[in-house]
Amino acid sequence: MINYFPKAIAIMALSCAVSPAFASSALELSSDVYVESIKTQADGSSKAVLNKPTTVLPGDKLVFVVKYTNTSAAPASNLLVTNPLPAPVIYNGSADGKEEVSVDGGKNWGPLNTLFVEKTDGTNRPALMSDVTHVRWTIKDTLAAGSSGKLIFRGIVR
Amino acid sequence: MKNYSETNRSKWHSNFQKRWASNGVRSLLIGSAVLALSSVPAHATGTVAGTDIENTAQATYTAPDGSIVEIPSNTVTIKVDELLDVNVVSNDPGDITTSPGATDQILTFQVTNTGNGQESFRLTADTAVGGDDFDPSLQQIVIDTDGNGVYDPGVDTIYVPGTNDPDLAPDESVTVFVITTIPDTPVDGERAEVSLIAEANTGTGAPGTSFDGEGQGGGDAVVGSTGADDDDSGFLAISQAEVTLVKTATVVDPFGGDRAVPGSVITYNLVATISGSGTLSNVVISDPIPASTTYVPSSITLETAALTDASDADEGEFDGTAISVEVGDVPAGETRTVTFEVTIQ
Repeated sequence: MINYFPKAIAIMALSCAVSPAFASSALELSSDVYVESIKTQADGSSKAVLNKPTTVLPGDKLVFVVKYTNTSAAPASNLLVTNPLPAPVIYNGSADGKEEVSVDGGKNWGPLNTLFVEKTDGTNRPALMSDVTHVRWTIKDTLAAGSSGKLIFRGIVR
Repeated sequence: MKNYSETNRSKWHSNFQKRWASNGVRSLLIGSAVLALSSVPAHATGTVAGTDIENTAQATYTAPDGSIVEIPSNTVTIKVDELLDVNVVSNDPGDITTSPGATDQILTFQVTNTGNGQESFRLTADTAVGGDDFDPSLQQIVIDTDGNGVYDPGVDTIYVPGTNDPDLAPDESVTVFVITTIPDTPVDGERAEVSLIAEANTGTGAPGTSFDGEGQGGGDAVVGSTGADDDDSGFLAISQAEVTLVKTATVVDPFGGDRAVPGSVITYNLVATISGSGTLSNVVISDPIPASTTYVPSSITLETAALTDASDADEGEFDGTAISVEVGDVPAGETRTVTFEVTIQ
């Protein structure tokens, strides 16, 4: 959260850390994107290695990690974490399978196998991974002060 | 002082909230743009080089005071590198038939940029490919400037390496003609292989080879699965089909014998045999009616089928002095048999 403050305001915010109103909004959200490459080891076996890339190529496998941390002294409830999928990325599933996805820009949500996409002839077809535009998680448990969690999903560069 | 900063902070805070809210709206708009794009067929070669992949997560939660707070994450930006790939394919359906000494013999190829960035390709033609029967000489490589797929002398541009290398967008194709001269030496049935090679000007090499900073849009250029070069071959085949005509006659006299006397009927049998390779076009078998004989009306046959004498839809005709049969295109190795009858005067 402090990352988003202009420097002068960040200092000011620290001086006001005791303010309950401010403390109530202290939840930090961070996003990291890794690219997966398969390295062949000396013994001939393969190992997946994750690196933070600055550039990627079409077909590269990406791993998105979204971390949330309640840095305040108060609990946060009804946490909903949404990640709009960048247009050049095809969704490729999540680690926990508890996500809801949208294939219409965030209007309708649900597990992928419950969603449909309208074809040009007006009929519907089941939605595919490549149709996903947004992914989100509803965190049911109230996030206690100081606790954190992370959400992981995969994507492929179109 | 503290009051001032408190006020200032809360004002700032509400601005920040607003900004988050507007971010939320914008992300929804981006979402719908994505949807519009997804109805267009996916780009075969992938995301265009230089595109930034920007990822930002968002979260909302309820604070203890009951207010709903919305926050964004940091934004991760990754640039899509240029993948260098090319495909060359012969557009000729099969061998192009030719003959010894022929000039302006055209082989047609299609060069496609299968990478994801704008890229120019250097072209070379190899007329001396091993394993074939003869080597034609290269006259020139020509770019199909008007894009009609057919060589138009004077319209299409002669290719000069390094000067007008075809510069292709992702998925864009260009038709290329390789024009050669056939030597005098090859004989019927011999074939020549001619290949066209296209290489990405940024560089070629083993897949994965990277040319740092040379990709479209500022990223790297990375050699794709094709090695950033490709080639395909077209074939020229010497075709010298020849026709030989053998004429025989059968005589039947009025008395049941085979003497040639006035009133005897002579049946002429004309057999055209096509040899060599390829196909002879527009073959016409004709024969004048011999002196002192009279043509027997409607006696022409082709492959035993009767033909009329009139110049009409069927192949046969009698014009008063000679019969002719238009047998059309005949592939090598086949024969056509024509018969007609005359009466000795």
